[in-house]
Amino acid sequence: MKNKILLLAAFMTVLSFTACDDKLDLLPHQSLDESVALNSDANVKTVLNGAYDAFSDDNFLGADVLRNAELQGGDGEVIWVGTFVGPREIFNKTMTASNFDAQEMWVNGYNTVNITNNVLSSLAVVNEEDRGAVEGEAKFLRAYAYFELVRTFALPYESGGNNSQLGVPIVLEPTREISDKQNVPRKSVEEGYQQIIADLTSAEGLLPDENEWRASKGAAAGLLARVYLQMGDYANARDAADRVIVLGVNSLMGNYADLFNRDDNSSEDIFAVQVSNQDGTNSMNTYFSIPDFGGRDGDIEILPDHLALYDPADTRLALFFDASGATRSGKWNNQFGNIGLMRLAEMYLIRAECNARLGTATGASALDDYNTVHTRAGLPAANSVSVDDILLERRRELAHEGFKIHDLKRLKLDAGPYAYNAPELVFPIPLREMEANPMLEQNQGY
Amino acid sequence: MKQTLLTLLLVFGAAMAFAQTRTIKGKILDAGSGEPLIGATILAKGTSAGTISDVDGNYSLSLPSGANTLVVSFTGYATLEVAVGASNVVDITMATDQVSLSEVVVVGYGTQIKSTLTGNIAKLDGDKLKDLPIVSMEQGIQGKTAGVFVESVNGKPGGAVRVRIRGAASITASNQPLYIVDGIPISVDAQNSSGASLNPLADLNPNDIESVEILKDASAGAIYGSRAANGVVLITTKTGRSGKTYIEANFQTGTSQPTGKREFLDRDEYTQLFLRSAEGAARYEYALDPDAWGGNEQDAIDWYTEYVKGRLNRYSGPDVTDYTTTNTNTNWQDQLFADKPVSTQASLSASGGNERTKYYAAAAWNRQEGVLKGNNFERMSARLNLDQQATERINFGVNMSLARTFTDQVSDDNAFSTPMQLVALSPLTPMRDEDGVLYDRPTTTYYNGLIDMEEANRDVTTFRSLANGYARWKLMDGLLLNGELGTDVWTLRDNAFYGSRTDAGNASNGFGSSVYAQTVNLTPKAFLNYDKSFGVHNLGLTLGTEYQHSRTDRTIVEGGEFPVDDLKTLASAANITLGSSTITEFSFLSYFARANYDFDRKYLLSASARIDGSSRFGSNSRYGFFPSISAGWVLSEEDFLVDNSLISFLKLRASYGKTGNAAIGNFRHLGLYDAAAYGGQSGLSPSQIPNPDLEWEKTAQTDFGIDFGMFNNRLSGEIDYYIKNTTDLLLDVPVPSTSGFRTQTQNVGEVENKGWEFVLNSNNLVGDFKWNTSFNIAINKNNVVSLSEGQDLIDDGNTNVVKVGESIGAFYGAEYAGVDPANGDAIWYKNGEGTGRETTNDYAEAEFVVIGNPNPDFIGGITNSFSWKGLSLDIMFQGVYGNEIYKDGDRFMACQGCWFDNQTTDQLDHWNQPGDVVSVPEPRFWYQNGDQTRNSRYIADGSYLRLKTLTIGYELPKSVLERLGISRTRLYVIGQNLLTFTKYDGWDPEVSSDAFTNNIVSGVDFYSAPQPKVIAFGISVGF
Repeated sequence: MKNKILLLAAFMTVLSFTACDDKLDLLPHQSLDESVALNSDANVKTVLNGAYDAFSDDNFLGADVLRNAELQGGDGEVIWVGTFVGPREIFNKTMTASNFDAQEMWVNGYNTVNITNNVLSSLAVVNEEDRGAVEGEAKFLRAYAYFELVRTFALPYESGGNNSQLGVPIVLEPTREISDKQNVPRKSVEEGYQQIIADLTSAEGLLPDENEWRASKGAAAGLLARVYLQMGDYANARDAADRVIVLGVNSLMGNYADLFNRDDNSSEDIFAVQVSNQDGTNSMNTYFSIPDFGGRDGDIEILPDHLALYDPADTRLALFFDASGATRSGKWNNQFGNIGLMRLAEMYLIRAECNARLGTATGASALDDYNTVHTRAGLPAANSVSVDDILLERRRELAHEGFKIHDLKRLKLDAGPYAYNAPELVFPIPLREMEANPMLEQNQGY
Repeated sequence: MKQTLLTLLLVFGAAMAFAQTRTIKGKILDAGSGEPLIGATILAKGTSAGTISDVDGNYSLSLPSGANTLVVSFTGYATLEVAVGASNVVDITMATDQVSLSEVVVVGYGTQIKSTLTGNIAKLDGDKLKDLPIVSMEQGIQGKTAGVFVESVNGKPGGAVRVRIRGAASITASNQPLYIVDGIPISVDAQNSSGASLNPLADLNPNDIESVEILKDASAGAIYGSRAANGVVLITTKTGRSGKTYIEANFQTGTSQPTGKREFLDRDEYTQLFLRSAEGAARYEYALDPDAWGGNEQDAIDWYTEYVKGRLNRYSGPDVTDYTTTNTNTNWQDQLFADKPVSTQASLSASGGNERTKYYAAAAWNRQEGVLKGNNFERMSARLNLDQQATERINFGVNMSLARTFTDQVSDDNAFSTPMQLVALSPLTPMRDEDGVLYDRPTTTYYNGLIDMEEANRDVTTFRSLANGYARWKLMDGLLLNGELGTDVWTLRDNAFYGSRTDAGNASNGFGSSVYAQTVNLTPKAFLNYDKSFGVHNLGLTLGTEYQHSRTDRTIVEGGEFPVDDLKTLASAANITLGSSTITEFSFLSYFARANYDFDRKYLLSASARIDGSSRFGSNSRYGFFPSISAGWVLSEEDFLVDNSLISFLKLRASYGKTGNAAIGNFRHLGLYDAAAYGGQSGLSPSQIPNPDLEWEKTAQTDFGIDFGMFNNRLSGEIDYYIKNTTDLLLDVPVPSTSGFRTQTQNVGEVENKGWEFVLNSNNLVGDFKWNTSFNIAINKNNVVSLSEGQDLIDDGNTNVVKVGESIGAFYGAEYAGVDPANGDAIWYKNGEGTGRETTNDYAEAEFVVIGNPNPDFIGGITNSFSWKGLSLDIMFQGVYGNEIYKDGDRFMACQGCWFDNQTTDQLDHWNQPGDVVSVPEPRFWYQNGDQTRNSRYIADGSYLRLKTLTIGYELPKSVLERLGISRTRLYVIGQNLLTFTKYDGWDPEVSSDAFTNNIVSGVDFYSAPQPKVIAFGISVGF
């Protein structure tokens, strides 16, 4: 009898543990279940911030994408001396399909796209008075991401052509599960640009004139101007740039050097990636700057041929500095500084170039716009100006801000020994992507 | 002294109760020599009473009432059971026996007699781990157990150790075995943030270990269910025995040096190579685009030569305008290794008790200075294992340890600041200026890691308490109820400070980081053991339940802007750049059962099963079932063999069972959003795509084994063949990232491991001069059978990939075909369809193929032990064969001067002029010529055979000791890694970079610290 009682006691002990079943239902402390992430006005807006965060990843617009454009088109003017293989391959035009930087740009670009798609699919729960701005911002970020992707991973847009060459996959719906539906093929370059223009046109109409550091009406119009310029559609580019200038939200800074290494946006910044010591990485600082300013080892050096573009009196020349045995750009010396992606001077230069090409004077004459930028650099005003003068001014004004390869491509100029449309100047579709998605077609030469 | 120690014991709480009924005395003698045996264990069978023979072989044991059999055991001798008759004097003669077949082994939730085992369990006695100059116990297992691959990834003390039992089965989940210390499944996820991951098992003092049992097959492991697929390592710590108190003091000290060094260029060779490299680059670039140089090749050569000379001047010192005017010739490799680093360990232990109370108490200190400058490990530990017989039916006790470890960390291998990367600096560069200040960039090519040694510290301190409290209640004859509560409380503090001149601190006037992490692991369990014999039928049953909850809290603060470098705590930082706290947890709820049955110790049958539920699995599949079945046949007990003079023991066994692997991260089945701050505002972004079907990996393992003993067990061994088939791999399946996600954790794919294990133990010579040999070798073939549908390859851009039909982590890349004698171009095999062995000088044109395998074909070890009177010699060799190493660092230090990194001297044999037939291409400064990342040029044979340990010991004669009142004194010299036979020309072939190694990446040598070659002297004194 005694033994039976003991056995029963043992059995009870065993059973007592079975009551723990609910202890298997643990939830994470740092993550939120997807079911609640998009269920309220506040949450959708918070997810929109998440889209900005993804957009500003150092592998995307935070801003390896700008670095890559300078390296790929920088022959003779800059030199990559860093140890990282990815940027070296980009600079040498010897990329392989497994290039890490190409992969990360692609992955982070589409991550941005997916978050914007999530926001755009949840507009119904956003308060009506904010809905337009939320929609506009999401579309702006999506368009920006697609624009960088299509002009990097596809052959250039050919003005006047049908542009049936392969662009990038276009995804406009949020991903909720993984199935064969995610194996999306590439669309044509034309379809890519049309999607970008559609998003930006819609965003320009929806966005408010001023919106803190967020995407504004001017940012959408400014990006539209840049997109049209890349397409060689000078009339539309001119008009869009003109709309930004006329909007009057932004104004040129008096001193060129004050534009850079800022913790906040200047009056001239139309759109900038926000970096602080709390959040974000300024990868332009990482590669262009030196350890004293938080950079790596001075991976990118500026060569004399670039410096020769400037008049000795040009205040933009004074921003360069010598350190660690080479000349450096002075634009990226704030480790936690914002990364300007679009500023008003670019709009003046777009409007000037387009007016000069078209023989028009929308908003202002090409000469006036040229001088607006030119004299700000401490130089005397010119009396006449040609398209080439404006393009040269653009090289000086926007140097090392991520324009280089894209300007070479749209102007059909060589990058080193390679023609503007050479396959070596097109990034490979990342190997991991080719392997994950059987519907993708690789670019020539990879 | 003795008095003091006795007093100490009272502090430990040893109660001195006497309640004996009868005292048995006698002498233990060696059957061969007739010499007394010192330290033999004498137990009263069926009780916990026991004692140890003294220096004269004498023992005295209080025999509890009811006990009438003594169990006598001694390492190297056959365990005896001796019936006690009327006499109170029992002398016992013991015969040597390499394998004690009546040996007891620890199994999951119990113990079992080895001869009746039907599963494969490798047992290693604690004395095989004792006194080794190691940090953690796995290092002591290396080469000693068949089928257990152990690799210290790197020569940094306290660093990660990879253990693979019967091959790696998982691509995403952990491949480390489950570690159970005195019944507690312990936490093994590293928590430090500075430097590479440290080894959590370094918190355990190897000298406290009584035995290590490694459960290799499914029959042994299935009772641990969803966590047994990688094998289970059961660690049992020492317990006390009633009887005379035995006190032992140990001291060991020694010094170490790296096992290997590499040859680098001196200043003249360096300048010569780089000027040649400039010319090579100029000619190459000119040929690409002559117009860029106005059609003048000499212009290109001049430009490049000037550029290189400019750099040579810069590297020669800040004021040097012509490098040829200096004569600096710095050997940077000599700067990174510590000067005669010292390793010291000291310990004091006491064990004893009476028949009610038994204890083992120990305190130890171990400090190992690493071969790298500024890289040290220190451990202080204490242990108390206490058992109390409360009533006739109930005993309870606690096994608990406290340890503090301290590691002077260095950066992981992939940092300019890591000491090994100093070899990249130019021999032209002087170390210090006139004021004794270390040079940094731009004088040095890269950050000078010596600055880190002077002005940075990475102090990792852990405090760990392992405690298992238990109570056992004998409910009736043969039925025991066990209740246990295991706690593993592990706290880690990682304080790093980087001064204002360090690369991490110079942008912010110093940079500090402080991590505080705590893992609390609670494991209550209850189980019943029933062991009963019914005539020739022997039955053993186990039934129980266990719950585990583990929670890790982690806080990190980082900041910069320190007023002076002397103020290193974050209280002085003007700018706090990061503050974060995180919590993560998991739980398991399990039920398990086992039944063993044997008929007359001849026909053996065993079955076990476990049901595991875990918070880590999806709502659709929360509980898993893991059964096993096994059988054995002891042929030597059959009539036709029982009197055979040749075969003394022969057993056939077979097992089959299913186990799982649940070591993925927590919460992987959920669809999640994570916080993502931007612009000073909070954000949320999707971080994980859900998978409600997610479950454990399933491993089905079949094992066939033979255990044999011959010539009265003087020759014995085991042969095993196994097939481990792992399906439903927890795979981070790459998904098209156009979805916004990179991977989804799914259960797909299949990996197979199959292999042979051979163990042979032999007493070659017995008598006064003894010679024993233990040998083991294991062959494992790892094969990825399938991945997700349509997927042939997992390629993360690393040199190691997962490819169907290959081993996990196979090296993948372009196949190097050498150098084109005509122009010095590196050439590659195209390896395309139809282009097979055609070569090309265009790397991009070469198809990637499998170019090597980091997993050895076989691993093994052999120990020869010799002894004569008090002298002993142990020689242990360990080796791996058939694996390759990817010399990742050679892309920078053996690239014939592609950038200004100093080069290994073999690069001087480069292509120089048309017609040269060499294996090093033309130096082309800055242009890649054969130094591309994924490339068989840098694959090397990683096989090695190593004199792992060599011990010479001398036991002082008792005539000397008696006068001193000491029962035993041993003096010894131990050498570790004294000799290495290998074709590998890197620093050391036992390598797997601590910066990159994961399930897929292994066998990568990237500025990895070589293993230490240690010579130490030790003394061990017993009272």
